[in-house]
Amino acid sequence: MDWINKARIKSSDLIERSLDRNIRIAVTGLSGAGKTAFITSLINQLLFASNEKHLTFFRANSQRRIKACKLMQHDELHIPSFDYNAAINHLTAEEPEWPMSTKTVTQAQLKSRFTVANRWLRKVQSDSHVTIDVIDYPGEWLLDLPLLSMDYKEWSQSCCKYLSSERRHKYTNEVFQHISTLDHQTRKDELEISNKLSKLAKEYASSLLEYRKDYNDYATVLPGRFILPGDLAGAPVLDFFPILNQDILNLDWSQFDSNSTLAILEKRFNYYKNKIIKPFFHDYFSNVDRQIVLIDTGSALEAGYESYQDLKETIEQLLEGFSYGRSNWLKRLFSPTIDKLMIATSKADLVPPDQHAALESFMQKMVNQAKNNVDYEGVEVETMAISAIATSEPISTEHQGKRLLCVKGIEQSSGESVIHYPGKVPSRTLSREEWNELNIDFSPFAIPPLSPDEPLPHIRMDKVIEFLIGDKFI
Amino acid sequence: MSDKPVKFYSKDKAHQDAEKLLKTNMPRIESGAPGSETQSDIVATGSAASLGLKTDTKKPLLKKLFWPSLSAFVIFVAGYEAYHFIAGLLESNWLLGLGASILGGAVIVSGGYGLLKGWRARRRFKKREKQKQQFTQLMKDNSYGQAQALIHEVTQDIADHVHISTLKAQYDRQQQQVHNDQELIHIYSGSVIAGLDKMAIDIVTKHASEAAAMVALSPLAAADMALVAWRSSKMIEQLSKLYGCPQTALGRLEMTKRVFKNMMLAGASELVADAGVELLGKSLTATISAKAAQGIGVGVLIARMGLQTMHLCRPMPFGQENKPRLGQIRKSIYQKVVGLVKSASTGKSEQGIDTTEKKN
Repeated sequence: MDWINKARIKSSDLIERSLDRNIRIAVTGLSGAGKTAFITSLINQLLFASNEKHLTFFRANSQRRIKACKLMQHDELHIPSFDYNAAINHLTAEEPEWPMSTKTVTQAQLKSRFTVANRWLRKVQSDSHVTIDVIDYPGEWLLDLPLLSMDYKEWSQSCCKYLSSERRHKYTNEVFQHISTLDHQTRKDELEISNKLSKLAKEYASSLLEYRKDYNDYATVLPGRFILPGDLAGAPVLDFFPILNQDILNLDWSQFDSNSTLAILEKRFNYYKNKIIKPFFHDYFSNVDRQIVLIDTGSALEAGYESYQDLKETIEQLLEGFSYGRSNWLKRLFSPTIDKLMIATSKADLVPPDQHAALESFMQKMVNQAKNNVDYEGVEVETMAISAIATSEPISTEHQGKRLLCVKGIEQSSGESVIHYPGKVPSRTLSREEWNELNIDFSPFAIPPLSPDEPLPHIRMDKVIEFLIGDKFI
Repeated sequence: MSDKPVKFYSKDKAHQDAEKLLKTNMPRIESGAPGSETQSDIVATGSAASLGLKTDTKKPLLKKLFWPSLSAFVIFVAGYEAYHFIAGLLESNWLLGLGASILGGAVIVSGGYGLLKGWRARRRFKKREKQKQQFTQLMKDNSYGQAQALIHEVTQDIADHVHISTLKAQYDRQQQQVHNDQELIHIYSGSVIAGLDKMAIDIVTKHASEAAAMVALSPLAAADMALVAWRSSKMIEQLSKLYGCPQTALGRLEMTKRVFKNMMLAGASELVADAGVELLGKSLTATISAKAAQGIGVGVLIARMGLQTMHLCRPMPFGQENKPRLGQIRKSIYQKVVGLVKSASTGKSEQGIDTTEKKN
């Protein structure tokens, strides 16, 4: 009966392939949104899923169908691995600290073996496995996406507009002067002026980076690799900047010589666009099935009206990448396959649980337009307030004669146990006056002592896992 | 509640109080109404009936008057007659009169007790319906801190009649304070109520297949009817007890009425889905015997009644995925009846067995 066994193995192989139990999850978010913590927690929860029944809302786990999970070497060998072990070691060390933030694209692969639930499929194969690839990359790089639809002139114009704002003027005034007084027309050898351009580009980038540090604002004026160059640090492709001289912007550029400074800058911009961004997005978009966008709503609330508006705009641009219509140029370029998108507000552990709904609703209002566009394209979108690694526990106390639900954690500065009420989180967008009156404080807690033998404490990670990969465990 | 951020350090009184509170009821802080003010924008759970026909509150007074006045009249006449009867007896012989009045008193007391219990059962059922409405509303809202009390109440009701400590422990293990109402209800439904559902399905299966077997064997048509009434009433009693709102004989009558109404109205769609399988069943049963086919028919009817009773008594509505299906129960009914027929006809007609086995 050898041939029967062979046929069985063959058919189960075929079914495995036809069911497509490979899944690629991309984790996106601006720096500081908690991407690394999220991935660490995601892997951690899944690794513990075979022994513990802790993921209540992850059906495969609560039905005890997951047999084992294992970290594997991923197939795309040119992408660095996500260092899960180092992250866990950081978190569970005697003096715990948050894992290192994302500087470049990394990937982790997880294989999970589970019992098949569908009773027809079970007749053919009782066990199957799902391969989960998690891709982590800096959200800043995603902001290059709009650049693809701009040419150098359009980009320069948008930069001009952006830099003219009152708030940014203070930081960029000097470099603005330097760039706009530059002689764009003289013919020169590229190598000769390379140094000068490099110096100016650095000045341009550093002035904006400084502004960014103070206001946590992201925009297309600062291409993603200027912020996090990855392996491009020092390469001449990054030595460019926009034309900020209105007179030149109004001219017809075809009259410029191909050796002029302007032409050189344009050449570099186009090179950046075509040789850096395009391949990156091609690699990234063509295979991803599920996407999670993490937003640190708490910080946005703390930072005030201006920053909120900037963040809102950034998120909209970020999500634009997912609103692929049939006629969309993105679709034609990369043929993306994302069918589920989760927009999550991270760090929900800093907010008492009765206000999670408000936090989520506030975030929902913030991304409403962008979400609407994505929804329209038939991508399943879900929003949620989550915490990948919970540093607090809810506790209720008396304050001014009334019950108050607070969170209890360890204060970062003093190391002392503290019960914290962060203020009332608004559940809708606020007017400028209301922003000024808003009084909230989302100061982060220190990491509590964690054990490497227990799954990390979390808020709603089980729901996230169910949404992102639950449908593959059938 | 203040809207400003506050911090309580361990030397503050509020911090110590909270710690103490956490220690005294360790698994979870009793959710009185924490954050009731932040929830003020959430609609009160009572107003669940948002859309629908208004119930006819203005029945004509004369029509409304009919039943109460009739029963009052009958009671009055019976009392009057009984009084005269006893008085007459007393006149003729005091011992006879005493005996009659003791019997009469016993009738009144036990009848009143029965009425009281029936009324309480009815109230329990009404309460269950209200709870169900509240749960449905909470499932829709994105609220926090309101489900806990409701779940506690339902658990109390159920724990009065069923041993649910293991299910309760499972629920306690899974729930955390960060869960909102929706999540809590989901967890509760997946742990405690799911366990009860399993038991309920067992009860329904047992009663349905027993009734099927009885009808298949009973020689009298009149006996069939009595059997159905008896088994179904027994089943409703057990099911209602299982879900924590036990019904008395009177209440069961009302419940049976509701069950039939639901089966006719809401069950129509299920009927269509079941029809195909039933047809298949008929061709099978026709080959056995008319009586066995009747048995199976009755069994399916009782099973359907059982499922409707579950729908009525369950504290929260079934979701799309945990809805009980008739298919599983039907299978065991067939097996029971076919097994009976087989064992009854062994040796008598081997042909009959052959056909049943083939179709099986």
